[in-house]
Amino acid sequence: MINTNNLEQDVRLLIADIIEMEPNQIDPNAHLVEDLGMDSMMALEVLAALERKYKIKIPEDELPRITTVSRAIELAKRYVQ
Amino acid sequence: MFNKLAVSAQLDFEEIKQIIPQRFPFLMLDRVIALEPGICAVGLKNLTGNEFFYQGHFPKKAVTPGVMIGEAIAQTGIVFFHTSQNSTPRDVTYLLAGLKLRFLEPVWPGDQLRIKVTPIKMTANAAILRAEVTVEDRIVSRGEFTLAAKETSAL
Repeated sequence: MINTNNLEQDVRLLIADIIEMEPNQIDPNAHLVEDLGMDSMMALEVLAALERKYKIKIPEDELPRITTVSRAIELAKRYVQ
Repeated sequence: MFNKLAVSAQLDFEEIKQIIPQRFPFLMLDRVIALEPGICAVGLKNLTGNEFFYQGHFPKKAVTPGVMIGEAIAQTGIVFFHTSQNSTPRDVTYLLAGLKLRFLEPVWPGDQLRIKVTPIKMTANAAILRAEVTVEDRIVSRGEFTLAAKETSAL
């Protein structure tokens, strides 16, 4: 059973690593592209990192839904369950 | 043409040139010795003392620049990504979007790079790939890289 609090922290750390920011500088509701400068390749890296971390498969068509850290956390929770 | 390439287990220099657009002095792949679309590709690059980059890197002692090893990795990745696509070939240009490599040992003139590429995540327009480069049995470099396929007309 995966701890939800850990998952939230893990996703935040993982995104911070990819966009090269300190985790505590990232507002969970900030737009990853418009506010934090993420591009489509970084979004794919987030998807791949989530898959690797939780040993899950996330379809490619979920990519456009990763718009904020909060959305990424929701997505991870959905597939981990 | 592409279907034939996609099912070939090996590619020679001329077949590689049908897939990747790089040419002298930037073609860093001599042969593909194993190719399983969607599974892995293994490329070879023979380094001679005549490579253009040894003139400046370094004049007193030739050492292969890490960026050129990165280029050989990227070109093997392009061959792998291209032959792993199921859709009709499009006029795309492959761009390196990210590269995270460790260089574990220096590589010298006379060495043969054996570049193995395997997928981490692939979509129709991008791939995150893992690479391991060996010289004889020694791992000289390893890491991950991201390739993006962009419509050439959109560049």
